[in-house]
Amino acid sequence: MYGRVIGVTVLGVGGHPVTVEAFVGRGLPSLTVTGLPGAAVQDARDRIRPAVEHAELEWPLRRVVVNLAPGNLRKEGAGLDLPIAVSVLVATRQVPAKAAAGHVFFGEVSLRGEVLPTPGVISVAIAAARRGLRGVIVPAANAVEAAQVDSLAVTGVATIHEVVGFLRGTWRPPEIGTLTTDPVPSGSADLSEVRGQDEARRALEVAAAGGHNLLMVGSPGAGKTMLARRLPTILPDLTREEALEATQLHSVAGLLAGRGLLRERPFRAPHHSVSTAGLLGGGSTVLRPGEASLAHRGVLFLDELTEFRRDAIEALRQPLEDGRIVVTRAGGSVSFPARFTLVAAANPCPCGFWADPQRSCRCRPDQVDRYRQKLSGPLLDRIDLRLTIPRLTKDELLGASAGEPSAIVRDRVIAARDRQQRRYAALGITCNAHLPGPIARREAQLCTDAERLLGRAVDHMALTGRGFDRVIKVARTVADLAGADRVSERHVAEALSYRTAFEQDAGLARAG
Amino acid sequence: MPAETPVPAGFPDGFGRGPGETDALLLLRCLLGPTPRSLHALIWTTGSASRALARIRTGGAGSDNDRAFLQDADVGAIRRGLDRAGARFAAPGDPDYAPAFLRLADPPVAVFARGRVLDHGDDRVAVVGSRRPTSTGMEVAADLGRGLAVAGVVTVSGGAVGIDAAAHRGALDAGGVTVAVLGCGIDVSHPASNRALFEQIEASGTLMSEYPPGISAEPFRFPARNRLIAALSRGVVVVEGAAKSGTRITAEHAVDLGLDVFAVPGPVTSPLAETPLGLIRDGATMIRGTADLLEDLGFAGGRSGERGVPRGLSDDERRVLASLVTSMLPSAVARAAGMPVADTLTVLIALEIRGLVRGIGGRFERTFKAAASQPVG
Repeated sequence: MYGRVIGVTVLGVGGHPVTVEAFVGRGLPSLTVTGLPGAAVQDARDRIRPAVEHAELEWPLRRVVVNLAPGNLRKEGAGLDLPIAVSVLVATRQVPAKAAAGHVFFGEVSLRGEVLPTPGVISVAIAAARRGLRGVIVPAANAVEAAQVDSLAVTGVATIHEVVGFLRGTWRPPEIGTLTTDPVPSGSADLSEVRGQDEARRALEVAAAGGHNLLMVGSPGAGKTMLARRLPTILPDLTREEALEATQLHSVAGLLAGRGLLRERPFRAPHHSVSTAGLLGGGSTVLRPGEASLAHRGVLFLDELTEFRRDAIEALRQPLEDGRIVVTRAGGSVSFPARFTLVAAANPCPCGFWADPQRSCRCRPDQVDRYRQKLSGPLLDRIDLRLTIPRLTKDELLGASAGEPSAIVRDRVIAARDRQQRRYAALGITCNAHLPGPIARREAQLCTDAERLLGRAVDHMALTGRGFDRVIKVARTVADLAGADRVSERHVAEALSYRTAFEQDAGLARAG
Repeated sequence: MPAETPVPAGFPDGFGRGPGETDALLLLRCLLGPTPRSLHALIWTTGSASRALARIRTGGAGSDNDRAFLQDADVGAIRRGLDRAGARFAAPGDPDYAPAFLRLADPPVAVFARGRVLDHGDDRVAVVGSRRPTSTGMEVAADLGRGLAVAGVVTVSGGAVGIDAAAHRGALDAGGVTVAVLGCGIDVSHPASNRALFEQIEASGTLMSEYPPGISAEPFRFPARNRLIAALSRGVVVVEGAAKSGTRITAEHAVDLGLDVFAVPGPVTSPLAETPLGLIRDGATMIRGTADLLEDLGFAGGRSGERGVPRGLSDDERRVLASLVTSMLPSAVARAAGMPVADTLTVLIALEIRGLVRGIGGRFERTFKAAASQPVG
C-alpha cells in the first residue's frame, strides 16, 4: 500500500518542496524514515503514531517506510510531521489520495494530534506558490501568515482530525480573518516626543534620507536609545516586496506570533552579550537567522558598541557590504538577507562623562585613548554619520521647542529618497550611502564654494580620504533633503558638523 | 629620624668632589630607601658621601633593601647604563645641577640629565597644570610656551600629559628651549605617549630627573619632582588644576622659595579652576594669557605667542562669535544670533576651520585664539 503527499522543509529562509512517500508492507510494526532526515525529522517517528491514534484513526500495525525525496537534500524542522502522517493515512486509504494531491502539508503535531504553530509558514507558502500548487494546509495559528501569498488557497488546521475531515469533505475550515496586516499599534514612538536635541533629530532625518549608518556618542542619559528607536518611524513604509522578505525572516525565526505581514520596519536591539551566531545567524542543527537578519529592511541598534564581542562586530562587515549573510555549517550553507541601517551608540569614554558640562570625567587620559581605539576600526569606516549627543542642561531642555512629528519628517525623507532613486537608476543603487567613493565625488555636483570649503576642511580638520568621501555623500543627502540639484557650501558645512568629539579632537591635535 | 639640630642649607664644602666621593654619591642616589630629606640630614651628620654610604652599609641608616642593593651594586655598570641612555650624572657644583636646588630644604644629593647642559644664565619660568585639562587649558598652556619662547625664556614643566605636554610643545613649536623634570628614571619614557615629545625636548632642551635609572613613574614621586620644577624657575604659572593636585604642590614650593606665582583663572564652577582661583585669592598674580605674563615678567610690549590671528571676519561671523558666550548648542547659538540654524552652522564650521571656535561634545565654544584676538565688539 502506497501513499504520496507534498511537504516542505525550510532551510535557512527558503522553503523546499519535499515529496513524502509512505509504503506500508509486511513486517513487524515499525516506522522508518529515509531520505536525509535531520534530527527533528527523526523525532517525528515516535510522535506521529500517538498523534494519529489520538485522532481516532488507525495506525497500521505493519512495517511502514517513509521516504523523503529528493534524497540529496537535508530535511530539517518539525514541519514535516504533518505530511508524514498524511502520507501514511493516504497509504492506508483512510483519506482519499486524490484530495491530498496538489496540497502542501506543513506543521508540527503533538501527541494528542494537535497541529502546532510552526516557524517558516510564509516560506512554505511562497515555495508552494512558486511550484504552482493550488493549496496549502498549515497550522491554524499560522494561517494568516500563509494567506499573505497571493493565488493560494490556505487552510488552517488545528488538529489531525480536522485535516482528515477537510480531505474527506466533512469539515470546512473557518474563513481566515481579513486581518492581512497588523494594525499600526497606537501610541507607538514618534519623533515629536524627543525634547530638544534638534541637531540629533536632524541627523536621524539625514540618516533616513540617505540610508546612512549612524554612530551616536554621548553620555548616559543623553537620549541615544530614545533617538534610535524613532529612526524606523521616519523611514518610508515597507513596500510589499520588502514586507514579505522581512516577514519571512521573522517567520523562520518563530517570532511572528500569529501575525500576518510585518507592517512596521523592524527595530532590533540585541544586548551586547550576544554571540556571533546570535547576531549573524547560525545554530548547530537548524540554522536560524540572527539579529542582523531580523533587522532586514529596518534598523539594527547596537547600544554600548564597545562592549560587543570584537569578532561579532567584525563579522557585521559582510552584511553591511553585501546585504546578506552566508552561514556555513557541516550540513551545508544558507544565505539570509540582512540589509539594515546600522545605528550604534557608545559613551564618549569609559565613565561616560567626557566633555560633559555638568559632571566631570573620572577617566585617565590613557584610558580614554584606549577606549577610543576600541571604537575605531573597520566597522566605523562603514558609518557615514557620526554624531555627538550632548546631555542637555535643564535650561536647554526647558528652552527646547516641540519637535516635528515623524509623519512630516518622513514625507521629506520620501521625497529625498525619490530624488536619489531617479538619479541612480542607471547605477543600480538606491541611495547616497551606497555610492562608491569616486562616483560620489562625480555625482555630488559640488558648487565652487562647496569645493572651497571642503578643501579647507581637508587642511584644517584632519579629514582623511575616507572621511572626505563620507562628507561628500552626507552633503549630497543634505542637498537632496533641500531639493537642491547641486551641493552648496551650507550642505557641506552641515555634513562637516557630523563628526564625533573624537574626530574633532584629532583635528585639534593637528591644528594645535 | 628627626635631626636634633636644624640641618644647614646646602651641602658641606667639597661634597661629592673627587673620584671616590662621586662614586659613593652615585650609589647613594641609586638607593630607593632614604628620602631626599633624610639623605640630606645624613650627609650633614657624617660629613661626606662616602661616610654616609659607609653608615648605610653598616646598618647605621637606610633599609635592608638598600644594603641588599649595595651588596651587588656595580658603579661601572651603572655608569655604562647612563652612557647608553645618553644621560649625565650631576653632583652639586656640576653644570647640570642648578644652584637653586641648594635653596630647597631637601635638596637632591645629585641629579641626572640628558640633552642640552643646563645654562645657569637662562631665564626660566615653569608652566604647570592638570594631566586632564580642558581643550582651552591646553591651548592656553601651548600659547604660554610659545610666548615665553619668543621672549627668550625657557619653559620648565613636568613632562606629563595634559598641560605639561602642551607647554613643552608650545615652546618647541616657537623654536624655544624647554626643560622637563621627570618623575621617573632619566632613561624611562613615561608616559609612553610623550616619547616623541621627549626626543624633541632632548634635541634642543634638557630632560632632568632625580631618580635612579630604570625607575618607573609612580604618582607618589610627582610631588617631590615638583619641588625641582619650582626651584629651576623664576616664576610658576598654574593653568588648570583640581583642588588637591600636584599643581597645587608645585605652587606651594614656589611660595616657599619666594618665587612669583601666576594663575590663569577659569569658571568658578569648573573643578579644574579650583587651584588657580584659590591661588589668586591667596595673592597669586592673575594672568589672562601670555601677554599679561610677559608684561609682569618685565618684557615690554609682550604679545601673545599666537601667530596669524585671523582678521577680516564677515558680519555673520562676528555676530555668531559674539553670541557664543559659553559652550552652546548650535540651535542655541542660532537663537542668540537671530539667524537660521543652517546659516549658523555654516558660519560655525567656517569659524572652526579658522580655529576660532571648536565643536566639543555636541556643543560649540570659543577657542583661546578667539579670546586672544578679541576682534569681537
